[in-house]
Amino acid sequence: MHLTGLDLLFWAASFLGHVSLLAVLLVRRRVRTFPFFTAFICANILRTIALYLVATFSNSAAYFYTYWYLAILDVVLQLGVVYELAAGIFRPMGVWAQDVRRSFAFLVSVSVAVAGALAWLASPPTRMWMQTIMIKGNLFSAALMSELFVGMIALSVTVGLPWKAHITRIAQGLGVYSIIDVLVEAAHVYFGLNRGDRIYNDLSHARIAVYLACMVYWIIMLWRQAPPPRSLSDQMHSDLLSLQDKVEYRLAHLRSRRGQ
Amino acid sequence: MNARTILFLTAIFIFLGILVVVALRYYLRARHASAGSWEQLLERLTVLDRDGVAKIALDYADESGRRKTESLSTELESSQIFGLIGGLAGLEALEKNCAVLIDMAFFVQQWYPEALVLAEELRLSAREIEWHVERLRGAAKTGNLEPSFASYAQPAIAKYYLMTQRVLALYERGNLPMLIDLQRAI
Repeated sequence: MHLTGLDLLFWAASFLGHVSLLAVLLVRRRVRTFPFFTAFICANILRTIALYLVATFSNSAAYFYTYWYLAILDVVLQLGVVYELAAGIFRPMGVWAQDVRRSFAFLVSVSVAVAGALAWLASPPTRMWMQTIMIKGNLFSAALMSELFVGMIALSVTVGLPWKAHITRIAQGLGVYSIIDVLVEAAHVYFGLNRGDRIYNDLSHARIAVYLACMVYWIIMLWRQAPPPRSLSDQMHSDLLSLQDKVEYRLAHLRSRRGQ
Repeated sequence: MNARTILFLTAIFIFLGILVVVALRYYLRARHASAGSWEQLLERLTVLDRDGVAKIALDYADESGRRKTESLSTELESSQIFGLIGGLAGLEALEKNCAVLIDMAFFVQQWYPEALVLAEELRLSAREIEWHVERLRGAAKTGNLEPSFASYAQPAIAKYYLMTQRVLALYERGNLPMLIDLQRAI
């Protein structure tokens, strides 16, 4: 495969960005808080190396299959990040908030259905079936991620659950990137690969540039510490502990009623 | 450009439009809730007849929120409850206050992570009240407001009263400077 100077620049920037972000997660001890996000960053480092080696030393077919196996892993890990962020927001008492479970399941179902419908509707002009699958698959994952992030924002505001500082930053980055990614993937569908891959590559470069900007945002924001909490007086603390007992009793009571 | 491409592009533009509008709307709402000061939150509260609220609430449950036994409760008639709270308009004001109470839960949890349990209690209570008021709105649409009023309004008002007492107690215990304003507002 022929790689241009710009391709190599983006490859190097992506590799360095991911390594820097991983270093931030390790140094600031955020790995335990965000295991899926850390795994997603690690997988991206390995993906960058693997695709570079395959593109340099192998043929297009090998690149296609490697790209796809790693793209599936990428989507799985992104879904893991969505779960991780959702758990941080919608499990305020250590268990899923009871008024959120059904809404969240509904959100996931609708998101998959809408993303599937958009992918089915797409008919990119291509020369090979593999290219069609690649473009449709990318559109599906971009649409799904953007819906999940926007849906999570709407759901959390509706039910009144706040976002913690670093969860907000990760979600903002992935949310903005996935919405722009939908636009890029829609353009991929429209232009296709029938008349060469120049437009396709330009659009891909634009997408990677947006992703790199998100990565810089994450590096800065995850390096910063969350605002220090204010402390409660002893009396307030004991009031809250007694309230916690009541809430736990109420939750147990509600659960037993649901089980009847 | 064939029909399917036109359909696809239309679907994508509608999809992106909805995503951006929903994301901006809720993001700004969340920012508004978390960036506002305590004073701004208080300003958004609608003043309700607190004696009326207390009378209705204590007719249904005791000070701790425990529902009274059948023999002691519901001395108030549906029409009395309707008059004391100001009908559906009064309940809608109460519902608006619930949105402020949810924002208060945002506020409390944002600054005092240890107050998570209070925030969750307020949030769940506010959700319950929304549910009751929603049922009454539905009843009003079908012309059944009068017969269903007491059964939905009274638990909602009792829950609201308990929420206000919880917040007041917390600020009183904490000897926080906002207490006097809060007592005036709720």
